[in-house]
Amino acid sequence: MTQKFDPITLEIFWRRLISIVDEADASVARTAFSSLLRDAHDYTCMFTDSQGRELVQGTLCTPGMAGAMALGVKRIIHSFPYNEYKPGDVIIVNDPWLLAGHLNDVCVMSPVFYKERIVAFTSCVFHHSDIGGRVASDNREVYEEGLFIPPLKLYEAGALNEAVLNLIRWNVRTPDQVIGDIRSQVASNHVCAEKVVEMLTDEGLDDLDDLAEEIICRTETSMRMAIEKIPNGHYCYQGLIEGAGKREDIKINLTVKVKDTDIVVDFDGTSPQVNWGVNVVYDFTYAYVFMALKSAFDPDIPINEGATRPIQMVAPDGCVVNCSFPAAVAARMQVGHFMTEMVFRALAPAVPDRIIAGCGGTPAQTNIFYGRDRDGNPWHTMIIRGGGMGAGSSMDGHHCAIFPANGANTPVEILESDTPLIVFERSLLPDSGGPGKKRGGLGRKMVIYVPDDKLAPLYPVTIAVQAGRFRYPPEGLFEGGYGSKAIFLKNGEPADSSGLTFAEPGDSVEFHSAGGGGYGSPFERDPEEVVQDVRNGYVSIEKAYEDYGVIMMPNSLEVNEAATTAYREQRRS
Amino acid sequence: MRNKAFRLGCDIGGTFTDFVLVNDETGAFSIYKCLTTPSDPSDAVEIGMKALEKQVPEFVPELAEIIHGTTLVINAIIERKGARTGLITTKGFRDVLELGREIRYDAYDIFSEYPKALVPRSLRTEVDERITSDGRVLRPLKHDEVKDVTRALLDAGIESIAICLINSYENPEHEARVKKLVEELAPDLSVSASYEVLPQIREYERTSTTVTNAYVKPITVKYLHKLSTRLQSLGFNGKLFIMLSSGGITTASTAGEFPVRIIESGPTAAVIASQHYGRMFGIKDIFCFDMGGTTAKSCLIQKGEAGLVSTFEVGRVQRFKKGSGLPIQVPVVDLMEIGAGGGSIARINKMGLLQVGPDSAGADPGPVCYGLGGENPTVTDADLTLGYLDPNYFLGGAMLLDLDAAHRAIDEKIAKSLNATLIEAAFGIHDLINETMAAAAKTHIAEKGGNPNSVTLTAFGGAGPVHAYGLARKIGAPRIIVPPLAGVGSALGFFTAPVAFDLIRSHRVGLDEADFNTIERLFKDLEKESSAILKQSGEVDGIMFARSIDMRFVGQGAETNLPVANKAFNEWERYEIRSLFDQAYKRLYGRTYPDTRVELISFRVRASLPQPPFQIPRLVSSGGSLQNCIKGKREAFSLIHRKFIPFTVVDRLKLFPGATINGPAIIEERESTIVVGEDANAKIDECGFVWITFSRSADI
Repeated sequence: MTQKFDPITLEIFWRRLISIVDEADASVARTAFSSLLRDAHDYTCMFTDSQGRELVQGTLCTPGMAGAMALGVKRIIHSFPYNEYKPGDVIIVNDPWLLAGHLNDVCVMSPVFYKERIVAFTSCVFHHSDIGGRVASDNREVYEEGLFIPPLKLYEAGALNEAVLNLIRWNVRTPDQVIGDIRSQVASNHVCAEKVVEMLTDEGLDDLDDLAEEIICRTETSMRMAIEKIPNGHYCYQGLIEGAGKREDIKINLTVKVKDTDIVVDFDGTSPQVNWGVNVVYDFTYAYVFMALKSAFDPDIPINEGATRPIQMVAPDGCVVNCSFPAAVAARMQVGHFMTEMVFRALAPAVPDRIIAGCGGTPAQTNIFYGRDRDGNPWHTMIIRGGGMGAGSSMDGHHCAIFPANGANTPVEILESDTPLIVFERSLLPDSGGPGKKRGGLGRKMVIYVPDDKLAPLYPVTIAVQAGRFRYPPEGLFEGGYGSKAIFLKNGEPADSSGLTFAEPGDSVEFHSAGGGGYGSPFERDPEEVVQDVRNGYVSIEKAYEDYGVIMMPNSLEVNEAATTAYREQRRS
Repeated sequence: MRNKAFRLGCDIGGTFTDFVLVNDETGAFSIYKCLTTPSDPSDAVEIGMKALEKQVPEFVPELAEIIHGTTLVINAIIERKGARTGLITTKGFRDVLELGREIRYDAYDIFSEYPKALVPRSLRTEVDERITSDGRVLRPLKHDEVKDVTRALLDAGIESIAICLINSYENPEHEARVKKLVEELAPDLSVSASYEVLPQIREYERTSTTVTNAYVKPITVKYLHKLSTRLQSLGFNGKLFIMLSSGGITTASTAGEFPVRIIESGPTAAVIASQHYGRMFGIKDIFCFDMGGTTAKSCLIQKGEAGLVSTFEVGRVQRFKKGSGLPIQVPVVDLMEIGAGGGSIARINKMGLLQVGPDSAGADPGPVCYGLGGENPTVTDADLTLGYLDPNYFLGGAMLLDLDAAHRAIDEKIAKSLNATLIEAAFGIHDLINETMAAAAKTHIAEKGGNPNSVTLTAFGGAGPVHAYGLARKIGAPRIIVPPLAGVGSALGFFTAPVAFDLIRSHRVGLDEADFNTIERLFKDLEKESSAILKQSGEVDGIMFARSIDMRFVGQGAETNLPVANKAFNEWERYEIRSLFDQAYKRLYGRTYPDTRVELISFRVRASLPQPPFQIPRLVSSGGSLQNCIKGKREAFSLIHRKFIPFTVVDRLKLFPGATINGPAIIEERESTIVVGEDANAKIDECGFVWITFSRSADI
């Protein structure tokens, strides 16, 4: 018989589920090895009910991993006969088509037993900073991109499968770090499983399934009610994503079809998959389409399988957003992260107040640096850089965030203690935010130096860039202006943004991430807000004049209102 | 040896200042509560001490110590009323404070707001110097440049300065020199250097903590100085201690140097008191609920221990969302703000919905019913309207409440807009604040692995006992304890807090390579340093040290803390330390890896003095009858029946051990009022604690 929960009990249980997954999430910072995980938080934890239905995901998740993992785990649990699972089993897998779309994202998953039955599957995807292969976005096939791990048992009934670990160890550049991070995944699942069992014991529940049913249904209803408020119709958008270097641009053609409480997003007419590393698997595309719809319509309700039920996605097989094996996928965020922005664009006329302009952190700007120190020991690190958020109808864009993905910067002091590199600057870029009634957030600059003194590393220091916005800057909305473009320089000269760059001691590289797009006409921005921006050094006095039509006294920085009004009138006509 | 009989606890809240005077020889208590005096908080201290002298003549010269808690620091941060602060940092890093960690604290909210930096961009300046991560000087510090930027900041009118240079946690030399140069140029300027405030890796967290310290240092120093002078002029010649956020107490001079460590000074006292009661009664899970005039704070105390965390946030933009505030890294009791306070203002928001808080009418002008000029209805005005408070017995009648004014304000500003009756509006305010607190409380309890259905709520603060019953009903807590003197009860916590100070030193070394003699010297240094801080309090007998080490696998970024017994470190065997680590790691994470190398990262010492004995006096068993305790009946609002019903009004001071009062009842004391609904009853124990249990769960 299905157990029912009164609203108060339900709320308490639901919050406890969230706190369990957040506790597992927090354990990663304490146990992980690479700074990409412990500092930059590039991982996501979740757990499901006994059937593999997603029940809860970490509050600080990255939506791409979370969305794709939720779809993947439901299938992965059937890679082994369900009734042959034993307590202490641990599965490891990084198949991009089953998970978050590239080999670096490794999933570790375990069944949770209670009273001799499976009650949950706890799983986490970590972005491993290395998975072997050639680290670049210009590979042609997934085979070049590193080690491919099909679903395997890392532990069988608690006994370690040394062969699996050994195979991984010999295929990656920094085995101690990668193995340490896999152990951190096992630890995080352990924390989660222990707390789930504790909760079942405390609350006198036999399993989570009835609770899951209730939570999932309520979430689905909430999402459907939100969708119902959007007028029925087809909302279309055609967008271009820049090809790196001289490669062709990628065309995305999407239609958001809203009918009553259902949404179908159709990618018919989108470019076919390409012969470099930006192809996106279906699940990852879905994750960022879902991210857009969830954040625009119903952001407050915690996510589980219920939230996704009203949202279907159709994409032709072999197109760039539903690529087929063995497409190269390592830099899939360079296309995948754009899905959120493009859905926003399609919906802009229908819900202008619920969306934001283009973001400099779309796609997430990532860099990998590796080499050997002067004693020949390997070092390796990966960082994620945010960009300016796009503005919305009622607020300026936040400076520097990773959107629509999520994650943190790596503290400079951590980066420097983990590698021989030295960071000379990490700062906001004035005038990078798109002008508008609401201004886009600023992008940022980062200057990294390879020392040439006695602690200089050996040649070469290899640098891989997985980023975008070098040619097409983030767009504004409703007359809002563009944010600034991204830039990658080596010793002051433009460098290759898709392949590998080799640096030697004494070299420096400089990255600018893009600013966010503006929202509304900059001539409608309150001149006082422009003055504030000038005082803070976000906008120069020249751009205040050129972009915003605000005339101010150079010394006092006070607005000449009459002149400003007249000049704005003149510019408008 | 203690040769003076008295100790005084004094807690300045946003609305009220509470006093508890204890005579350690007789165990007798005297208490007082008065309005806080925001323009100069030491005014209220003087008022209180003079009022207490009427009760206990000539006690001031007999005071051994005053233990003091204050919300001064946190209010200055939240209300952005700290000093105009400048920052000197390494070239290329003036935006560290504004970039933060870049993570979006709510992944699916595209409109999240973020806290504004305490130092505006124009006051963040750079010097062209650089220390590397291994502590070498890459670019030397140029003294002229330091002087130039300091002068520029002084010209810009700064009142305080923070210094935070990259990698100073590894080599503080440049920071120390900047500090010296600044002091030479501006001897009176308040200076906070990160190597002294928080010598730990990660530039954003260190800068944020240092800047916060700098931001509140001038007002803290000024206030503490004024307070000391004033106390002396009243004849006080004992010692002044300040409550730390970590639950220990420290001297005024240390507090003035590191005000960032006293941010949660006030609310911590209630937690320490609850911890004491938890142990006293052997209660497994206590939910400490302290609702004053401005905020309501809570803490879950499990098995008599409140959690201690090393990082927390202040000034959250989204009240209950982690990551939306400014990070501060100092040891702090694991407190959570769950809602507004009695002075919180109710209004109709833009969406036409009732909203309570977060802004408070504070003490000045205070709620409408105080008659001090407040015009906006508050929670207290609603509580008065619902009959929970007696307009003629607030603060024992010392303050007459203006019932009509409260009615008018609620009617005009709330009821009319909602098209509701006065009572519906008042109930709406009372219920909404309880609902908000319940939601936050449930999250807080669940996050700590507790269950709201089995916690015992302890109520503190002027408004705590009024709202505890409604809150307990909403979260399903079966039992409430209202300690004696609940209205000033958190000040009681001061007497159970030890004089203590925590120090940490980083020294990264592999376990296999570590020289245990060096480590023993390091521990000894920390013990010396922390005793020096404790010695400022004068009493040095019986200092206790607790040592712990932070260890991790080589390659990890965070540590596992291991308490180590207090024997000389060079007497440990290497394998013993290793196995301590493996045991702890396995307990936390299920597996450990004995073949993987481990390293030692930092060393901690907590120095403390023995806790002074503290006994709650027993109630005199007067064998009285309940009839003597009953003041009469009063119509008050039933949360169950949603209408006014007669409540029995009881005088708490006359209650005797074993007395049982069935709800609906209102138990009045001078400093607070306890509400007991019709589905609950209250029992008085030997020490005067009021135990409220719901009849549905009378067996617990």
